[in-house]
Amino acid sequence: MQPPVDRTGKIAFVPARFGPDIIGGAEIVLRHLAMGLQDRGWEVEVLTTAALDYFTWKNELPVGVAVEDGLTVRRFEAVKSTAGRDRDEIGMRMFGGEQIPLVEQERWLNDDVRIPGLYQHLLTRGEEYRAIVFGPYLFWPSVACSQVHPTRSVLWTCLHDEPYAYQSIFAPVLSGVAGLFLQTEPEHELAHSIFPQLAPHDVVGCGVEVPEGYDPERFRQKFGITEPFLLYAGRREGAKGWDELLEMFARSVVARGLPFHLVTMGAGDVNPPASVADRVHDLGFLSEEDRNDAYAAATAYVQPSRYEAFSRTIMESWLAETPVVGVGQGGVVRYHIERSRAGIVYDDRYEFEEALVFLAAHPEAAERLGASGRRYVLDHYQWEDVLTRVEQSLTSWTTAPAPAAAATAAPAVEVAG
Amino acid sequence: MRILMVSPYPPKRDGIATYAAQAVAHLERQGHQVEVLSPEPSAAHHHLDFQAGPRFGAALARRVRAYDKIVLQWHPAFFYRSSDPTHRAAVDAALAVAFKIAPQVEVWVHEFEYEDARGGGVRAQASRLLFRSATALFFHSETERDRFLEVVPVDPAMAHLAQHGEAFVRRSAATREEARASLGIDPDSTVFLCIGFIQEHKGFDRAVHAFSGLAAHGARLDIVGSTRLDEPDFVAYLNELDRLCAATPGASLHAGYISDELFDRWIVASDAVVLPYRHIWSSGVMERAALYERPVIATRVGGLAEQAGDRLVTLVDDDAGLAAAMRQVLGVDDSAAEERAWNLDGDDLFTAVQSQVRERARLVRGGEVAFAGATPGAAVARETAPTPGTATLPVRRLPPFSRPPATSLRPGVSQLKRAVRRLISWEVDPVVHHELLLQQAVVASLDTLEQRLAAVEGAVRPGTGGNGAGAPAPADPSSDRGSTA
Repeated sequence: MQPPVDRTGKIAFVPARFGPDIIGGAEIVLRHLAMGLQDRGWEVEVLTTAALDYFTWKNELPVGVAVEDGLTVRRFEAVKSTAGRDRDEIGMRMFGGEQIPLVEQERWLNDDVRIPGLYQHLLTRGEEYRAIVFGPYLFWPSVACSQVHPTRSVLWTCLHDEPYAYQSIFAPVLSGVAGLFLQTEPEHELAHSIFPQLAPHDVVGCGVEVPEGYDPERFRQKFGITEPFLLYAGRREGAKGWDELLEMFARSVVARGLPFHLVTMGAGDVNPPASVADRVHDLGFLSEEDRNDAYAAATAYVQPSRYEAFSRTIMESWLAETPVVGVGQGGVVRYHIERSRAGIVYDDRYEFEEALVFLAAHPEAAERLGASGRRYVLDHYQWEDVLTRVEQSLTSWTTAPAPAAAATAAPAVEVAG
Repeated sequence: MRILMVSPYPPKRDGIATYAAQAVAHLERQGHQVEVLSPEPSAAHHHLDFQAGPRFGAALARRVRAYDKIVLQWHPAFFYRSSDPTHRAAVDAALAVAFKIAPQVEVWVHEFEYEDARGGGVRAQASRLLFRSATALFFHSETERDRFLEVVPVDPAMAHLAQHGEAFVRRSAATREEARASLGIDPDSTVFLCIGFIQEHKGFDRAVHAFSGLAAHGARLDIVGSTRLDEPDFVAYLNELDRLCAATPGASLHAGYISDELFDRWIVASDAVVLPYRHIWSSGVMERAALYERPVIATRVGGLAEQAGDRLVTLVDDDAGLAAAMRQVLGVDDSAAEERAWNLDGDDLFTAVQSQVRERARLVRGGEVAFAGATPGAAVARETAPTPGTATLPVRRLPPFSRPPATSLRPGVSQLKRAVRRLISWEVDPVVHHELLLQQAVVASLDTLEQRLAAVEGAVRPGTGGNGAGAPAPADPSSDRGSTA
């Protein structure tokens, strides 16, 4: 039996963007955590920007305090006042694996969106919060603001085995905070391997919403896709493995005469090779219902990204009992597939091609693979279990305010447009 | 009161940036409304290039009327681009104009280059004009204030003293035991700590020499910090310190960038903080040690003696004093080694003497000789040997394509340039993207080639890198000599 949880004190969640329609792994998770912990009796406040778009960072919402979906949300101005040349040039060198001098790392960090108002707020009022939850590690608020009150700062880490993680500017974020939430054992091992003096940490997993039902036929009819297809959901960019996936897909289906199409949803340019241009379908952003139906209608979900801390989309695929063909490098996708036994891991294009050959030749066996995925997700990644683990970690890493302070710390909420 | 703080600011890793942030929090708690102007983009509200010469002073002058008070953190490295007296005089004069316009100006002097302001030349006059234009000057020690007043004769009533750590707050909640456990330090060992930016004037090498031999008494010396800049002199000193620590049992260098929390955790874990500075104005580390009531051993330089006040600080005057103070913390009796008698009995005097010399040295050193069988230089060379990825460095350092700024001094041209940019972006953007992909592809190809080359070399010549396991041993070239003779 778990000890009772002392829920006194206010918790701040600090996603760079916040809203019901925001796409982004950490943003979605922080929203769920904020709502889930508030439902459990915690006093919660969201500290975020007035921006919604990841690329422009245009301040589209009013700066100030408002109640949104039952949560107190304090929005600050996102400032993007620099040309981004340092970001491009130094970022390219980082991506190449070069160790960059700290002064240049600072220029790289600050040559993108910054939130001075958030920093100032935490500097002057940070002591009102029992815990301040940042995430992911790579973002400006995590680096710049987690050090204002390190004994109250907690990180939803989202660590990937990527060149950026090895730059020294991130060492304080991973070593000098009250606690780190990690989502999988591979992420845990990676954190230890990069940061010898890791802050207190717990592997808490991550929750996934379970849809009420699926209708694959509805999807096929609505979008006119009747051929068997592979599905990819997420940002279409090099870092996510999209370009590599297109190349492997084109080579495999053409060389082996496979029947598959490739359906994709999300953001970013598609740019399919000419040889398979008529087989690649970009559906853009889908409603929740269409997205769920797409998972169920797919022969398999493909995950080519090496930079995953959790990989929410493969969980969504498994909930629909659809098998996953996932990249082995990076560790997280391999970890899930090997534990669930609900898919196929590939380490190069040859293995990818053979996986597709298997799917085409033995669709029933592939379905059986996928079926075990749902059980895996339900056993390990339910929000209620995750929230319980998160509460246990928060209460062990942070100190509840004294009763008098707790009573006076909560100011009246100002509701703005 | 509306206040403008002019200073480097976090996330910049800089002692004065951290100091400024704590000062801002302190002023806000007093009810003031504070905005920050930093020399580069940061968590500050505004940024301007402080090193833009007189133009910075002019830009500051345009802003100051919007505030009731300007608080400027002064360090010469922030404002001067070079040591050229004309440049410095121009900067001072421009800043003086801004100071005159502002309702109130406080200058917090962290360092000052006295030689610059001596004499009666233009440079000295400009410096005096600048500081006389402020409303108040603040110093962290009386010594530094007096030296300043001697060179820059301003009204003494405007030169104030301020407690260095006035606005400092604790960053770590760890107990000594927790801090030690988290850092992998034995609970029973005695920990001497040197912490902060690693540079020659901090004199951390003096602490290593003074520590020599103390490991045998259950002590360790931890040097924690990073170089402020990656310039050759700084890196050379870091390498020298690294070599020195490697050769001194019990001494460890933890080079790298650490958080404020970890900085404090090291202090909490220590038994004594050692400040073996060659010169300094005042010490933020001494203040942080005081926050956690940790004893300090410090050299008597700059304003440290005064800053020490009645705190737990042992002041020393030289290296011998430093070593004695460290031994005193451990309760080591210095005469013990000398009193041990030599045993010269037996027939083999040489062996007896040699073995005792070695043993006595081992005790003093606190362990075996480092680099036994190898020269220290070779060990450093091994660490700095080329690593995989060297072949791609020139490509990775190639800056990505960056469009020229769409700006011009000529009226209307900037708008025209921006319009042209918008018109052609549909065609140019894919080319730029393709160029980035091309650069990545070249890096990937070169990495692959380099790895394969290393593997081939490893197979042909085991020990040269790559996976040479199982490869046949190369023929001994000397074995053929007889046949060709």
